[in-house]
Amino acid sequence: MLAKSKVKVMACSGMGKVYGLMAREAVLQTVTHLCPEQADTTCLAYIVTGDDAATAKIVDQPCITIDGCPAMCSAKSVEEMGGDIKAKFKVLDVMRLHKGAKPGTATELTEEGWAIVDEIAAKLCAEVAQIQSEGR
Amino acid sequence: MAEELKIGVVSCSGEDCLGGTISRLATRKMLDEVRPDQTVTICLPLYIAGGQEERMFAKEYPTIAVDGCSKACAKRATEKYSGKVNSVVFVSDIIGDELAEGPALSTRNLTAEHAAMVEKVAAVVTQQFDEILSKILK
Repeated sequence: MLAKSKVKVMACSGMGKVYGLMAREAVLQTVTHLCPEQADTTCLAYIVTGDDAATAKIVDQPCITIDGCPAMCSAKSVEEMGGDIKAKFKVLDVMRLHKGAKPGTATELTEEGWAIVDEIAAKLCAEVAQIQSEGR
Repeated sequence: MAEELKIGVVSCSGEDCLGGTISRLATRKMLDEVRPDQTVTICLPLYIAGGQEERMFAKEYPTIAVDGCSKACAKRATEKYSGKVNSVVFVSDIIGDELAEGPALSTRNLTAEHAAMVEKVAAVVTQQFDEILSKILK
């Protein structure tokens, strides 16, 4: 029996906004701690170069994107380079559930920010499990 | 006039290696502390996801690419979609290949050793920054 492909969980680069940093940290938490056997990530900047070796990592692979702002860099870049996007997450959607929260800055998160990151990572991991269980 | 000049510092996304994490943090240090009034940045994937305005970045600003590893994604993506960069800083040249190619790091797990790496890289970026600025002002 063939092993299932790991789901690629792709964050925006998130340099300019705290929500971008939260996206990145949630992905790292997902692929290194919560579900490393089922998910991994690839550097979005590498994908953006359009190198054959880079795009080969995501073409037709099951992908989840998470973006920090409405520009949706991760979703658009992964789609452009041929990734099979199974789900798109937005940090802003989660932040709507935490009105008034102060997650930190684009450089550093607060304790409150880290708690929300953990919440997002749990959602990502649940989505990874669902994609794999459904064989999507 | 010097106060009006802005220089672009573009980091790789840095998801694949420690060098990328250090690259991101050194770029943030330029924005937050070292040259906050003269540094601008762009999220690299905006070259694809954004519009013409984003693709004008390297034409509008003298640009330093900060790359975590030898793939040089920040330099190559900027030059592919926007324009030639003025300088490239490779984190691996500063902290060594072995360290730079280690696993990407969460900022939750930053140590004093990592902070020292960020300082070193930011110092090199600052040197490049000032050289570019002095050439422009000549």
